Amino acid sequence: MTRVEGLARFALLLIVCALPAGLLGYQYGLRPVLDRGAGIVEIRAYAPESGGFSVKSVNAVVGQPVTLRFTSMDVVHGIAIGPGLGIDLGPVDPGKHREVTLTFDQPGTYTYYCTTWCSADHWRMRGVIEVRDPANPDVFPPAQIDPVIERLIAEGIDIDARVDMNALAAGAKSAHGSGHSPAEVTSALEFSRQPSAARGEALVAEASVVIPDDLRTLDWQRTHTPGEALDALHTANPAQGHDVLADAVAYLWTRPADDVARAVYNANCAACHGEFGSADGPASLQTASDVVLFSDPAYMFTMRGDVLYAKIRRGGMGTDMPNFGTLFTPDETWALVDYLWSLTFARDRHVNDR
Amino acid sequence: MNRADRTLNLFRKLPLLERVLKTRIFQPVLLLITLAVFTLVILTGLFGTPVGSRNFGIIFVWIVWWGLLIILLVPFLGRFWCAVCPIPAPGEWLQRRSIITKRLPKLRTLNKRWPRRLKNMWLQNFGFLGVALFSTIILTRPTVSALVLLGFIVLGVVLSVFYRNRVFCRYVCPVGGFIGLYSMVSPLELRVRDPQVCRDHTTKDCVTGNANGYGCPWMVFPGDLQRNTYCGLCMECVKTCPKNNIALNLRPPGTDLWAAEERRIDEAYKSFIMLTCALVYSVVLLGPWGWLKGWANMESLLHWLMYAGGFLAANLLLVPGIFALTGAASWLLARRAVPLRRLFIDFSYTLVPMGLAAWVAFSLGFVLINGSYALQVLSDPFGWGWNLFGSADALWTPAAPQIIGFLQTGVLIAGLMFSVRTAHKIARQHVRDPRVAFRMLLPISGTLTAVTLAFLWLYLG
Repeated sequence: MTRVEGLARFALLLIVCALPAGLLGYQYGLRPVLDRGAGIVEIRAYAPESGGFSVKSVNAVVGQPVTLRFTSMDVVHGIAIGPGLGIDLGPVDPGKHREVTLTFDQPGTYTYYCTTWCSADHWRMRGVIEVRDPANPDVFPPAQIDPVIERLIAEGIDIDARVDMNALAAGAKSAHGSGHSPAEVTSALEFSRQPSAARGEALVAEASVVIPDDLRTLDWQRTHTPGEALDALHTANPAQGHDVLADAVAYLWTRPADDVARAVYNANCAACHGEFGSADGPASLQTASDVVLFSDPAYMFTMRGDVLYAKIRRGGMGTDMPNFGTLFTPDETWALVDYLWSLTFARDRHVNDR
Repeated sequence: MNRADRTLNLFRKLPLLERVLKTRIFQPVLLLITLAVFTLVILTGLFGTPVGSRNFGIIFVWIVWWGLLIILLVPFLGRFWCAVCPIPAPGEWLQRRSIITKRLPKLRTLNKRWPRRLKNMWLQNFGFLGVALFSTIILTRPTVSALVLLGFIVLGVVLSVFYRNRVFCRYVCPVGGFIGLYSMVSPLELRVRDPQVCRDHTTKDCVTGNANGYGCPWMVFPGDLQRNTYCGLCMECVKTCPKNNIALNLRPPGTDLWAAEERRIDEAYKSFIMLTCALVYSVVLLGPWGWLKGWANMESLLHWLMYAGGFLAANLLLVPGIFALTGAASWLLARRAVPLRRLFIDFSYTLVPMGLAAWVAFSLGFVLINGSYALQVLSDPFGWGWNLFGSADALWTPAAPQIIGFLQTGVLIAGLMFSVRTAHKIARQHVRDPRVAFRMLLPISGTLTAVTLAFLWLYLG
């Protein structure tokens, strides 16, 4: 064999064997070892039907930094980590990566999740970070019991009770408990106009409507439906019209605009429920059950704040509503509930914002 | 003006070029380079990101390579790509048991005889139609793309075990078929300097091979070459010819199209298929009909079957049918002086310049628009988050989008003029009377103009 032929065969060997072995060996063999040494966890993000996150569970130790490197492998994904960490890495284009280094100061469980609607099963795209105490690596803090949900269960409230809009028209003012006579309710849940917090604010400011003190408390509002508040206002203001009092309830149930809550809603809820709560998000066509209309006062007047809170945190049994309790803190969840009320009672605000 | 006056022998003007092409390392070095790129294409296709625009395999094959091939290589260098294409290389090296040096007196194969009825372009025609039918899948899914290319290389090796020489390139390769057809337009040709020298030469080393090189891998006798269609520009004959009778010429583009005696129905259909595919791709991929793209993209089996049926009917029946009618009109206007079948086949070659122009125009539309993806995938070929050359985050930047329409128009008009000129020459080959030739020209010119207007409407409308 001539020298030139030998060189050519060596080049061929490099191309056919060394090139693949080198590239794949680096990516799948050497790189993970180097990353582990540097405390880097490489997580590839695929759409859920292709497997979701390549690493579903990450172990971390209190006080030791861990770097998570998310690489989007197929479509645009968004990465956030919660609850309570306030980490949102934003959208990650295919082939791109984002890194974040975390140092935890106490044991617990956190969730990294996709925030961009990447597929019909987008909400399943989650992974868990388990943070352990180096002093007691085998001891893992038990999942915390949510007192709000516990209280609802103790009250006998069925969080998953289906709201039958026909039944609403026929009578039940609350989907979750207190019943009222059909005649009373039929009038209560019919509105000639969309209740408005802005109009309600003006009414209250000019003292046109008497508001019982307990209705102003946050605790009362979270544990009662707007329909029950409407009843109370009818009793206290017998001369006022139904729509006027509904505006007053809208005012009581509406908090100041919250951009953070709006961002959380848009990232996690709008795909199904729609940007303005009209159940017209692109994913609403793919859900097994009807998507709830937050823009519908007839429905929202039957809903308790704590039940909305529980549905968000625990998910809706028998529906496609995922659980968000592992992603958001209780405060973040309450902010989200307040945002839902604003979709019903402060629609002009959202439309104007847009 | 005789042929010699219209050609320029590059070997005479550039002796260094002849010396380089005569070395045995010239072709293998290029093949090893393209094989390295091909290996990377396969690896990125199989292991890289499934997102086409981020995958080296998709971008470098279907934008960079395709753009180079159809916009530059084929129009200007004919079949040069076939000389450096890595797909048949492993099979050829196995046959030769060598990459560079000439070791064995004979090729190592099972020496089977390639079926006589397949010694034409029909396999390439149907192979191209098969690939084209699934093109929206193959061109966008890196894994599928890699498997198809891998399948080609495996097929090349398997055929090289059974048959001598480059049977895969000559009779099977779906790409080689249209490169051969369109290379007739190229201004570059490999021919013999003096055909009489070849006729008188008894040993025919260019066919049998000698110590300097192998017999023509494309199974072509250079002494008879009149067209580029089946010459792969491998330059073995340049090495083996003891008479130094091989020339690499520059010539007026399209000269091969007047070679009347070699026109065949399989090549005619290749010209129909290529033009139809350019038209269908322009409609499906660049047109405003998203539903049609969805059909081609297999959004449902029923829709795809409807698309496939329409696609095949357009390629095999509709467009050939329109040209048959055109040929029949010319036949009548020529007072039936020429056999209709002959006219149908011959006039189909008028579609060669137009088809190439249509493909160039179509390719300009996406190569210039999407070429900048090449910078990203060079730095991050697998989409694994690498940044080898610092260009992984390069922004998608369409190149000169404001002039693409002008370029497409210019190319299409040039293609039309070239085609009409070809039609005129073909008509004059059949009838001596220029007035009759002019009458024969009218139907085909009208059809060619209508096709050009259809492309212009698609690109500019």
